[in-house]
Amino acid sequence: MKPLKLTLLIAAVLTPVSPIFAGNLSDLKAEISQMRADYEQRIQQLEQRLAKAEVTTSNVQEEVATVKASSTPLPPPTNRNTFNPAISVILNGQFSNYSNNPDNYALNGFSLQQDAGLATKGLSLGESEMTLSSNIDQLLAGQITFALADDVGNTTINIEEAFIETLGLGHGLTVRAGRFFSPIGYLNERHAHAWNFADAPLIYRGLFGDQLSTDGLKISYLLPTDQMIELGGTIGNGDSYPGHGTHSGIGDWLVFAKTAGDIGINHSWQAGVAHWQSSPQSRTFGDANSNVTYNGDTDISNVSLIYKWAPNGNPTQQNFTLLGEYFYQHDNGSLNQNSTATAYNGKQYGGYVEGMYQFIPHWRTGLRYDRLGSSLSAENTNIFNDANINLTGSDPQRYSMMLEWLPSEFSRVRAQINHDQSSRNDDTQFFLQYTVSMGAHGAHSY
Amino acid sequence: MADINIFACEPEWASLSKELGGDNVTVFSATTGLQDPHHIQARPSLIAKARQADLLVCTGAELEIGWLPLLQQKSGNPAIQTSSNGYFMASSYVRLTDVPTVIDRSQGDVHAAGNPHIQTSPLNILNVAQALSKRFQDLDSTNAAIYEQRWQDFSQRWQLAINKWQQLAAPLKGASIVVQHNSWGYLFDWLGLNKVAELEVKPGVPPTVDDLNNVLNKLKATPAKIVINAAYQPSRATDWLVDKTGITKVTLPFTIGGNAESTNLFSLFDDTIQRLLDANK
Repeated sequence: MKPLKLTLLIAAVLTPVSPIFAGNLSDLKAEISQMRADYEQRIQQLEQRLAKAEVTTSNVQEEVATVKASSTPLPPPTNRNTFNPAISVILNGQFSNYSNNPDNYALNGFSLQQDAGLATKGLSLGESEMTLSSNIDQLLAGQITFALADDVGNTTINIEEAFIETLGLGHGLTVRAGRFFSPIGYLNERHAHAWNFADAPLIYRGLFGDQLSTDGLKISYLLPTDQMIELGGTIGNGDSYPGHGTHSGIGDWLVFAKTAGDIGINHSWQAGVAHWQSSPQSRTFGDANSNVTYNGDTDISNVSLIYKWAPNGNPTQQNFTLLGEYFYQHDNGSLNQNSTATAYNGKQYGGYVEGMYQFIPHWRTGLRYDRLGSSLSAENTNIFNDANINLTGSDPQRYSMMLEWLPSEFSRVRAQINHDQSSRNDDTQFFLQYTVSMGAHGAHSY
Repeated sequence: MADINIFACEPEWASLSKELGGDNVTVFSATTGLQDPHHIQARPSLIAKARQADLLVCTGAELEIGWLPLLQQKSGNPAIQTSSNGYFMASSYVRLTDVPTVIDRSQGDVHAAGNPHIQTSPLNILNVAQALSKRFQDLDSTNAAIYEQRWQDFSQRWQLAINKWQQLAAPLKGASIVVQHNSWGYLFDWLGLNKVAELEVKPGVPPTVDDLNNVLNKLKATPAKIVINAAYQPSRATDWLVDKTGITKVTLPFTIGGNAESTNLFSLFDDTIQRLLDANK
């Protein structure tokens, strides 16, 4: 471009707008200054709001700080009992009525242990139980349960359980040592006061004399899965009924597996299998007066299934439980009477189903059906008959119904009626019992 | 990438853990807003979850004493034992009120350490959040910066929300309210509400006819517009009171999941305050 034209162009740009646009220029100026005023006003407003917000936040922070200050936790009140074990006591009392003489009770096809029979007729003090439990150190916790029973003025103390157990061993492992209820089936690991009926299921009475225990070691392993799967085993001294006698090494052993899950919010279940084996020596065989004993191998298999329901998963209002177990015992050995022995093979089996329904808070009702069977044979029928174990030709069975009132989690009054067809003659049995717990009672497991 | 596997006993702590941990945490809530946290069974599915957990986030103050110790015992998990770093009890970071002078079973289900229902006040939740974030940073130091940033972000949002709720709830100050169970202490302290009477004089023990008549007499002297109960509680006693006096019943969610509107910590208080305002009109 020629320098002259360029100069003129520059001059035109730099010169204020020509008079043709004079009117629009003042409009433009007015607009700009209006915009400037608007923006200034808006900036002012924003600054005010920001200042307000800052004050508010600092106000809230101040208030929160004062609350935080007043909210600093107080040290927990010192408890002089801190290092002592938690103590709990269970008291029981019972009124029992039978249409037959309870002293004559015998379980058809099964050898009845001396303590496991029917409760004394009339008013009686049931078992009183005391449990002490505590953490021992960073590795172990311990627990002991005594059962005190008074039978016609003669008080017996029985150590039901006394064991130590690892705390958080890792990898889902837990080790327990001492005396404890064996992990066979569902009901076996629960103390009697936690049962749903006043008496043990017939199969427990017949096979274990109410409950099977292990003096030894238990190892269990919980798989790292969302579905609960637990595997484990025990080894024991082989002395607990239906084991018997002294064994220098492992007298009995058990393996078990459990799995459980939830179905939605309202339902949960657990299934288990177990197998127990021992080699009893001179175990009493037959009724209380029998002088026949059994030597040989004994093994017991078990399956159990439990199902629970609660609306919205909240069991405090209503809940329902259905529970069933089946046991199968096989004896293979010999029966002995004085110095004579005979080959013996026996199968004893049976189970129960019970259903419990809490229909309103503090009230529960339940139904139970027990059924047993046996198939026993010995070469020498004289010895076998002397044992007096087969009383009738029919399989034992029993129907039970109960109603409980639970004023709180710590007390219970229960009424129960049985139609018992397990002994020589049919019996109608009625029980009224109270069970209370005092002290620091740990929670019951599922 | 380190991930903290969290077992939260109640949904409020599950939600708080998710706010503070984001994608770096996996959270499981043992209970829902429709369950009574006092009476939960230590069922196998909870044991299996506890076995895999790195961190327990629960209320404490004996609220979960009926089931949590059993989970610790049966899980065989060293991380969640009481002495370890994976054991976090929210009530340890808050001053508890209503500490009973008499601790005896005849008084009902008393909590010896004080009222454990701390989640009813957002000021308590702020205290717990600060401590919880620190615990995350302790357990997972590689992601400490992320947790710190999430805490700062949550703290800001939460404090602004607290201010908003306080302003919204200003008309409720001094309002006389009847409660079914004494679980609302912290809410009442925060909003300046006045508890006129409680239906369950002994916690966990259903009110007797005398107890209920006492409440009626109290209301004649100091009338109240509202009676509140929690979503998981049965409302028999409350319904009886409504029947007798025409008082307005308000069922508050109490925690997340107590009703459809309470889906997180913020909407829990939005809904709680809204329901109280609606009933107070």
